[in-house]
Amino acid sequence: MSRLWRRHGSWLAPTLFILPGILLFGVVIIFASLQTIWVSFHEWDGVGAMVWVGLDNYRQLIDDPQFFVSLKNNVIWLVMFMAAPPLGLALALMLNQPIAGMRIVKSLFFIPLVLASVTVGVVFTWVYDPTFGLLALIFNAFGATAPALLSDETFVTVAVVIAALWPQVAFCLVLFLAGLNNLNEELIGAGRVDGARGFAMLWNVILPQLREVSFIALAVTVIGALRSFDMVAVMTSGGPFGSSTVLAYQMYEQSIFSYRFGYGAAIATVLFVIMAGFIVWYLRTLLKVEEGNA
Amino acid sequence: MRLTDIQPDFAPSRRTFMIGAGGLMASAAILGRPALAQSKELTIISNIANAPQREVLQRLASEFEKASGTKVVINNMDHEAHKTAIRSYLVVGAPDICFWFSGNRMKAFVKRDLFDDISDLFAREKYQDVLDTSTSAVTVDGKQYGLPLGGLLWGLFYRKDVFAEKGWTAPATYDDLLSLGDKAKSAGMVPVSMGTKEMWPAAGWFDHMNLRINGLEKHMALMDGTMAYTDPALTPVFDKWEALIKAGLFTPNHTSSGWEQAAAALAQKKAAMMDLAGFVKYGFPPEEQDQIAFAPFPEIAPGLPRYEDFALNSVHVPKNAKNKEGARAFLAYLYQPENLAAYLAPEGAVPPRSDCPPSADPLVNAAVESLKSVKGTAQFYDRDTDPDMAQEGLKGFQEFMVKPERREQILTRLEATRKRVFKA
Repeated sequence: MSRLWRRHGSWLAPTLFILPGILLFGVVIIFASLQTIWVSFHEWDGVGAMVWVGLDNYRQLIDDPQFFVSLKNNVIWLVMFMAAPPLGLALALMLNQPIAGMRIVKSLFFIPLVLASVTVGVVFTWVYDPTFGLLALIFNAFGATAPALLSDETFVTVAVVIAALWPQVAFCLVLFLAGLNNLNEELIGAGRVDGARGFAMLWNVILPQLREVSFIALAVTVIGALRSFDMVAVMTSGGPFGSSTVLAYQMYEQSIFSYRFGYGAAIATVLFVIMAGFIVWYLRTLLKVEEGNA
Repeated sequence: MRLTDIQPDFAPSRRTFMIGAGGLMASAAILGRPALAQSKELTIISNIANAPQREVLQRLASEFEKASGTKVVINNMDHEAHKTAIRSYLVVGAPDICFWFSGNRMKAFVKRDLFDDISDLFAREKYQDVLDTSTSAVTVDGKQYGLPLGGLLWGLFYRKDVFAEKGWTAPATYDDLLSLGDKAKSAGMVPVSMGTKEMWPAAGWFDHMNLRINGLEKHMALMDGTMAYTDPALTPVFDKWEALIKAGLFTPNHTSSGWEQAAAALAQKKAAMMDLAGFVKYGFPPEEQDQIAFAPFPEIAPGLPRYEDFALNSVHVPKNAKNKEGARAFLAYLYQPENLAAYLAPEGAVPPRSDCPPSADPLVNAAVESLKSVKGTAQFYDRDTDPDMAQEGLKGFQEFMVKPERREQILTRLEATRKRVFKA
């Protein structure tokens, strides 16, 4: 045993350690993804027999106005979520100062991260409530009537994204705060000697050192925007009349409420392709950055 | 960020959970007791949302346990989650008894051979004699597949004290409804409290208008997918509905609030009426529940017999149940008139048996009385039609209530869905 171990230990040990992870990843992710793609070529109600329909589900997607509403909403999510990294950075720069009591302020900014997103959704639903919400109180104070944001098909998605941005900004803030703590003091000192100050210091010395953190913040934000589901489910259930639905929610609705697992799987596959496209771009850029550093 | 977060397969994950939970229970049962006693166990999956009713079921279960020596295990599930879970647990890991909805929703499982034929229990206990019409809701091809439980009769609810104080009477016709709307508005109240966040209240309103204008037969044709959503028979329904919307009869911004908020507005005297069933009382504080009064949905087409939405819940024995005899014995016990009445009381539902002791709930008695003049019943939009159709329909009716000018567009969309779903 020990001889076997001595001879093969160098590759056996890592293999054994990785094996459970690989198995889990294989079953839960790879297998489930392939199965989803397979289901998307069928008509299936979740109970009965699966009927092969080829690309029929995808053809129906193209004719489905709801699909394009969802797609458009996903784009709105993506665009608005891009505000999270810069806002997070701005807050991090503001909070990263050695002032007494700053820790308490920092913790206040972390609060949305601690809350479950369902909680955030419920709280914002109250804020937006046109009769007793905070927003209504503010409008009433100025003698105006508050708009019912969650009932308005034009503003509903924007209102939901704003709620979702709150924890997302906090998440970016944490990433950037960690990044700011790891800055190279020598570089900053050298910059100061060269006369860099204020914005020039930020742009030429600080930001280049935060490049990797920014990259992670960006990736997390993009994926967060694409997989948005819980906020929509809690705040609007995709409504009013489907106007705030995103792809992830539509796939849930079609599979669970309409018993169209095949169609739901087709939506999932489309989302998967979009996401995969982004991940490929991300990994390629990441590799380039790492090569550049080496 | 993990990829699992974007994986859509909610159902399998629930199913896996169910299998896991079921397996765990099964192994516990095997380890915990001698093998022979296994058939003496009865499992029930309940979807009951209100706590007092759960307590009654638990009490009945322990009484049955003492009398029969069969151990009864009740697993409570969230009402909405249960709607999804039932499709997997009926196939793998079925309990001995489960709760569901009669009519089309039951038929879906009967067609797939997932519910047990309990005609023998019907014959043995002579249920036909005491059930009369509600038997049809659990009958497919002459065989019974479940026992009807509480029925919910839909209609308008209002506050006695408000109506007495203002000198109003419940509207008997469409014109009454419009004029009451004007009176309510000038009194600073919303005429009809409406919360469509969960969408179905809008579909209920459609049901009632359609039943009053086109009658039961045409309504069921629409539900069964044999009548088009673009059929000219529906034009007066949407014309009249649009007139009500334009007259400002419904709560503004109703898509922001759920039915509970709408019921609360009725209780707080901010609204004059509401279209719901007996469970409207959950929107009221207990001491004010005796103020609630019931009136049938107003007549629209003069002389048309009264057809109403009367939704019947039901209880079933899954085909894959292990202890089918025990299940029948328990159902017979639950279905004894006193037990059934006790079980239905917290729900505010109408007992299906004619020999149940009279209810202490005035709303139930009002519904029982009102049912006597009803010529025929549908269940409810999302219980009568295909679930896929229902989902689009619910959305469409909600949209119509906000944007009545999009009628054409909405109906064309619903018609396309009908063609797809019913392969018409």
